[in-house]
Amino acid sequence: HSSKRSLTKIYAYGHDQDQRKFWLALILTSVTLQDIRNTVGNIPMEWYKDYPHIGYDLDGKKIFKPIRNKDELDEFLDKMENPDYWRTVQDKMTGADIRLSDEQVDLVHRLQEGKFGDVNFNEYEPAIDFFSNEVMIHPVTNRPQDKRSFIPSLIEKEKVGKLVHAIKMGWIKPRRPKETTPQYYDLWAKEDPNSILGRHKMHVPAPKLKLPGHEESYNPPPEYLMSEEERLAWEQQDPEDRKLSFLPQKFACLRAVPAYSRFIHERFERCLDLYLCPRQRKMRVNVNPEDLIPKLPKPKDLQPFPTTQSLVYRGHSSLVRSISTSPSGQWLVSGSDDCTVRFWEVSTARCLKTVEVGGAVKGVAWNPNPSICLVAISYDDTVVLLNPGLGDRLVSTATDQLISSYEEPEEVKEQPVQWTVAEGEGHEQGHRLILKHPKAVRQVTWHGKGDYLACVMPDNGSSLQVVIHQVSKRRTQNPFRKNKGLVQCVSFHPIRPYFFVATQRYVRVYNLIKQELTKKLMANCKWISSMATHPGGDNVICGSYDCRLAWFDLDLSTKPYKVLRHHKKALRSVAYHRHYPLFASGSDDGSVIVCHGMVYNDLLQNPLIVPVKVLKGHTITHDLGVLDVTFHPTQPWVFSSGADGTVRLFT
Amino acid sequence: MSQVQARFFTENKKYLVDDVPFSIPAASEVADLSGVINKLLEANHDGHKHVEFDFLVRGQFLRTKLANHMETENISTEEVVEIEYVEKFTAPQPEECIMHDDWISSVEADSEWILTGSYDKTARIWSMEGKAVMTVAGHTDVVKDVAWVKRDGLSSLLLTTSLDQTIMLWEWNSERNEVKARHCCRGHAGSVDTVAVDPSRTKFCSGSWDKMLKIWSAVPTVEEDEMEEHNRPRKKQKTEQMGLTRTPLMTISGHNEAVSSVLWMDAEELCSASWDHTIRLWDAETGGQKSTLTGNKVFNCISYSPLCRRLASGSTDRHVRLWDPRSKDGSLVLLSLTSHNGWVTAVRWSPSHEHQLVSGSLDNVVKLWDTRSCKAPLYDLAAHEDKVLCVDWTENGHDLCCYRVSSMI
Repeated sequence: HSSKRSLTKIYAYGHDQDQRKFWLALILTSVTLQDIRNTVGNIPMEWYKDYPHIGYDLDGKKIFKPIRNKDELDEFLDKMENPDYWRTVQDKMTGADIRLSDEQVDLVHRLQEGKFGDVNFNEYEPAIDFFSNEVMIHPVTNRPQDKRSFIPSLIEKEKVGKLVHAIKMGWIKPRRPKETTPQYYDLWAKEDPNSILGRHKMHVPAPKLKLPGHEESYNPPPEYLMSEEERLAWEQQDPEDRKLSFLPQKFACLRAVPAYSRFIHERFERCLDLYLCPRQRKMRVNVNPEDLIPKLPKPKDLQPFPTTQSLVYRGHSSLVRSISTSPSGQWLVSGSDDCTVRFWEVSTARCLKTVEVGGAVKGVAWNPNPSICLVAISYDDTVVLLNPGLGDRLVSTATDQLISSYEEPEEVKEQPVQWTVAEGEGHEQGHRLILKHPKAVRQVTWHGKGDYLACVMPDNGSSLQVVIHQVSKRRTQNPFRKNKGLVQCVSFHPIRPYFFVATQRYVRVYNLIKQELTKKLMANCKWISSMATHPGGDNVICGSYDCRLAWFDLDLSTKPYKVLRHHKKALRSVAYHRHYPLFASGSDDGSVIVCHGMVYNDLLQNPLIVPVKVLKGHTITHDLGVLDVTFHPTQPWVFSSGADGTVRLFT
Repeated sequence: MSQVQARFFTENKKYLVDDVPFSIPAASEVADLSGVINKLLEANHDGHKHVEFDFLVRGQFLRTKLANHMETENISTEEVVEIEYVEKFTAPQPEECIMHDDWISSVEADSEWILTGSYDKTARIWSMEGKAVMTVAGHTDVVKDVAWVKRDGLSSLLLTTSLDQTIMLWEWNSERNEVKARHCCRGHAGSVDTVAVDPSRTKFCSGSWDKMLKIWSAVPTVEEDEMEEHNRPRKKQKTEQMGLTRTPLMTISGHNEAVSSVLWMDAEELCSASWDHTIRLWDAETGGQKSTLTGNKVFNCISYSPLCRRLASGSTDRHVRLWDPRSKDGSLVLLSLTSHNGWVTAVRWSPSHEHQLVSGSLDNVVKLWDTRSCKAPLYDLAAHEDKVLCVDWTENGHDLCCYRVSSMI
């Protein structure tokens, strides 16, 4: 019975499965062996494996193991035959077989099912709540109060006395009265009320439309009406640059005012402005404007460069389109619209020779090779190679011999250009070879070695815009199969086999040996007019009709390294000096601007560009000023030819 | 300060005044001082004619008010100022106007005759009266420079150089008025721009666009120098007409650009100016370079005065520069005379006066300078209508021939 009680306890508190099993085994042992109590304690029974006994009873006598001589077969037979075999367990403490009674089996079943061992135990007895929230009239205990609860406590008295003493001595201060006013925490107390918060900072309202003024009136006061000159100037401006987007007009009465044709257009632009234009406030940086100007050396330190006009070469009666100097620098050749080519002595401005040709001369180019004395002249559709007979006689005769020693190759190829040898009167004037092109030739330029000659025939429709002639073999090649825009000018690379072709907006660099496009330079201007290559070959300048001069550094980028806008009108010509770090540009405003353009050998240092001098001298005729500029080959002098029929030398 | 104590003196015995200090107004200018001297002279000599004087204070010409001049020159006003006076050079009027029908590239005058080279491929000899005596034609291109070699009696030797790369030595008989080509000097590979005859009159030096200087013998010989005549009959015919071909005695190279001007400083020393911004002195015997004067502009012309031993140079700017060729350290410009407006194309020292030189410029003006007055020239000759390419003095130093490009002398 006691073991039953303890089992109930076990089931009430020992919820753990293992714990339960342990207790179960313990109870069973205690139940079955009430008399033979083994006193060895809780030790592993294996220790008695080799002994005939298994422990000691209460009286200290050995408990002997029951004789076990059953083998597996007996065990099996027993299992088969004995109906109580399933309820027979072995007591580990004594080693005896015990047959469990029906009560015990029942208890085991109940425990296996997780029920209380005692059948009569009601686990759901009603609970009596003694200490509830209900206040009862009677105390829970009926004990009378102690005496000590009626007499004052000495300990408390002592404690109070200490506090009183401390208050008297001023060690304890009475509590401050509580402030009754409510305390609020101001979240934005530290914020500057004048500062603009981020969200507000970024807000930029759309610009308001200007209210109509007197100009918009149908009958404006006369001072708002444009004069003829102002109107012309207004028409010449780009639409973006105009101050007024319309021309003020005067009408006799409001009835005569026509419908406003630009209304839709104007509304559309306004709408675009309202919702497409990203508005943002620009960060204003407080910088001294002086600091923003790049530190450039003074022009005085960059001498020598041309500063004054020294000589004027007069003689032409019409525009001088092109000039060129001889490689020695003794002679100058100029080609003009009056159908003549003149040869000048540079040092005295004396015209030594005048050669008439059959049309307005568009281009002249002196052969850069000092051992050949030839000048290429282009007019209409013809290019003439002319031997001026100036300079060294030996060179001059050697050139003639070189041309006359040409032998016709056996198989004659079909060529786009017709080569003929000049005879008779033309030969006496110096003409040596005449090249008839299919179209008008605008520019001629020599390769540095003096054998190849490139001609430009601008024509948008055809693929034959540039031809390269080889003078010694009298051969003509068309280097480009396809037409990529209107070719403006071409130039040979001074050292490597590259060829520059300038179209309206781009400069293309071709490798002549590999026959491929190497680079395409974007000029960022509307119409390129002229181009020059630096004698080092890595820099190119382009002049354009929209007043810009773009300097390209081929190593740096395909976009201009620098764009100069010093001229007031279209640029007509640009040129580099062969030795000095100088370049010049001539423009329709009649001026030549000379700039210092130093290119360093150090690849890390960008070129230094400083404008040094504006040279004026040419008078503007027919809205044209300077048409060509070129440098003297050895001295820091610049020649310019103008629409006024003169060539000027600045030194 | 209103008065200055001054003592006047002169080297000209004709215009001597008493050697006593005068008190003169400090604000007086040249005209006032000249009036003072003339009054003094009138008091001393009867029948004195009015003469214009120029005044030198401590070797510098007076050009402003006396007080200003003394202030700029740092002369104390306390002591007596020594003022030298000389007869004023008046601007000469062109005596003769010789019309050429083409540009004149060069001129050389001696006491009787004027030799000019012209762009019409000829050289001409003129008398002092301006009469064309002889035309020397033979070059196939523009004549760039001319020079007299020597004149003994009636026959004289002259040189012409040309753009056709040759120098021709001519013999001119003034009595019969015949000119004969004696030698044709070939060797240059560019236009021969300048020629100079050495003081001994036996050699001459030429400078060319081909950067070379060549020294040639100026003695005419009858025998042919080196041409063998038998196998080239056609060429022989040509040589007879053109004179015998002559080759240079010596070639001096060293310049990097064209040689623009050459001269003999003495019998052994040559001086040449070039477009490579240098003036070089050469030893004429060995052909070695002695020293270099470096400028920063192209040199057009140089002139040397044995009297004051200075070089004057004209370059492609507005200045006439004076150099001391004996200084060894290179560029020593003693003075720069600035008044021209164009390139200085010609300078020439006076053969008789150690302070005077004449310069011609592309601004059409010829100026006479006195080195004692470096601020402004003594006078301008603006009679020319076109560029001045060359100037020269006649031998006695009294007359100035300025010869100009524009077909007029």
